[in-house]
Amino acid sequence: MPSPMLRFTRVRFAFIKAIPGLLLVSSLTLSAASQEFLHQAAETNVNSQYMIEAVSVGGVDVDQPVPHKLPKRLRERLKSLVGQRCDIATLEDFATEIRREMHFRNVSEHLSKGNAPDTVRVNFEVVRRDLFFDISLPKFLYHSKQGFSGELDASTHIRQNDITVGMVSNGDDLTERFTGITARFDSTPFGDLAGSDRMRLGLTFEDYHEQWNQATVNALPGSGLDLYRSRWSVAPQLVFKPANPVSVAIGASFGYLDSETPDVPGQAVNAGTLDVRYGHKIEGDSVQQEIEGRYSLRVATRALGSDYAYARHLVSVRYEARTGKHIMSDEFTGGSIDGRAPFFDRFVLGSSSTLQGWDRYEIDPLGGSRVVHNQMTYGHRVGQGTVEAFYDAGMLWQSNRGATLRHSLGAGFKQGIFIMAMAFPVRDGRIEPVFMCGMNY
Amino acid sequence: MRYELLRISIPVAAAVFLFLATGPVPGATESLSVYLDGDYLRVNLPHLDFLKGKPLERLKDGATVIFNGQVKLTSSPNSLFPLAQTVASFAFSYDIWEERFSVTKLTQSREARRTWKHLSAQAAESLCLDNLLIDRSEVPPDRDFFVQLELRADDAKDQLGIIGDPGINITRFLTELFGRPPRSPQERVLFSSGPFRLSDLKKTEVRSVRG
Repeated sequence: MPSPMLRFTRVRFAFIKAIPGLLLVSSLTLSAASQEFLHQAAETNVNSQYMIEAVSVGGVDVDQPVPHKLPKRLRERLKSLVGQRCDIATLEDFATEIRREMHFRNVSEHLSKGNAPDTVRVNFEVVRRDLFFDISLPKFLYHSKQGFSGELDASTHIRQNDITVGMVSNGDDLTERFTGITARFDSTPFGDLAGSDRMRLGLTFEDYHEQWNQATVNALPGSGLDLYRSRWSVAPQLVFKPANPVSVAIGASFGYLDSETPDVPGQAVNAGTLDVRYGHKIEGDSVQQEIEGRYSLRVATRALGSDYAYARHLVSVRYEARTGKHIMSDEFTGGSIDGRAPFFDRFVLGSSSTLQGWDRYEIDPLGGSRVVHNQMTYGHRVGQGTVEAFYDAGMLWQSNRGATLRHSLGAGFKQGIFIMAMAFPVRDGRIEPVFMCGMNY
Repeated sequence: MRYELLRISIPVAAAVFLFLATGPVPGATESLSVYLDGDYLRVNLPHLDFLKGKPLERLKDGATVIFNGQVKLTSSPNSLFPLAQTVASFAFSYDIWEERFSVTKLTQSREARRTWKHLSAQAAESLCLDNLLIDRSEVPPDRDFFVQLELRADDAKDQLGIIGDPGINITRFLTELFGRPPRSPQERVLFSSGPFRLSDLKKTEVRSVRG
């Protein structure tokens, strides 16, 4: 058992390693805080007492039958502002939405006197972009044991099509760290026709190089699994919404794994995919509830020319309730793999979102074919952010072996898309904290 | 010898840059008057005129503009470390029908906010100064001090779109960082005056409690 001094040294070392990430996140959370502050300030605007007489975008009235490039739903919502109170915070939200939807550089709301007394006309003035593409950092994580994970994307929008090219280095989601490039094409092929936003086509290309942990390499003999040096895949997908809270994605994935061992031929992984999502919000007077559910299926079969044959099922359900400054949530995840799946499809616990604080290679360096995990979180709003405490419990095992239930505890601070947290695995007499900070993980 | 400046280490150069960037505007010829009002130290400026330029344009377009105000007591005119300070944020808006200003002093709690309406530009500006008070107990009793007043329009609206659904938009961040013209002097008011000593300050009758 480590001495108290050694434990203290580990905690201190974890803090020191987390400093770069903490500095980045703290500087960015200040920006997120100022946005919330501005939103609150907008609510105090004296012009909120007036009624909106007309709404226009770039000087063109949204009521006019001119072929607007605005998405139909957004245009309808803008039209519905007419006759309502002039809520500046709402107008600023619309300006943000128009900018995002239409890929403008800037959109700002301008008010002028209406024709009738105590009415105003709203014009959203637009500034077009100087560049035709955006570079963004959609996901970033610093983990004191795993190091940095992140993604950098360049995207552009041409008519109804989005094209994104990205670079990824991820040491958090899988058994291995994978680094490489991604490219994605998304299209709403039916333009601005009614219901077009209910259907979307996508095509994703990924090409990664893998880095294996020594614990995985040591555990490999006799497992029947193969290491691969690199992998690529092409995945077409059709997403549609049969009913409003439900979305379904049907697709396929055609991939190839280059063996880590020289002279051993590579293997194809070709699969059909299905993803069903459900999301529902219940807005009560004092309690707001949110339910999200997801089922995903991935079936690799020799009928598609695959060298691997397996079926991977994953179910997750999340419930959240908010009242006043209190937020409570529970998320359950369960998964099963029948057949022999490659490493990238095997389940892992001990990441930034499951059994936080545990070392994944201590749980199982090869990943598992069965998983059950539950996370309970309590949050309390403090200022612009939320202080959170969480409890994770989970089991990861192989179909022919026994399972061990593991627990972890932690606390963190969340603000907007940014979060920093500290987690401890619960086990006999040893405290080895893990620091995590980042965004959108 | 002529290249000596190039040998200054980066932290020292950064500190010099920060000092120069945050120092008082030398052109501010008008001096602050500082006085005691009951338990508070107040500042006054006869011709305060910060409602102009781009912030005024935005206000007349019906937008909300936040002005951040700060009064600092320092031991020297350019000191970075205040002996005492007060900061406050004010949300300005302009009634496009009545053509008068409205000012709300922003606080963490919405219930504690206070709003003043039907104000002229001058009255709205003076109201900010009236709400920038320093408690008398924080004023050093036995040494000279300088007073700095800073008022600036918050341009955080420009950050909208940098952080959002796709994470951090680096293009927009860089565009805002390098592509935006430097802050106009009209958007920042900075005055410094002194030295003062507590015992020498003019005292007035109590006007109001802290707003």
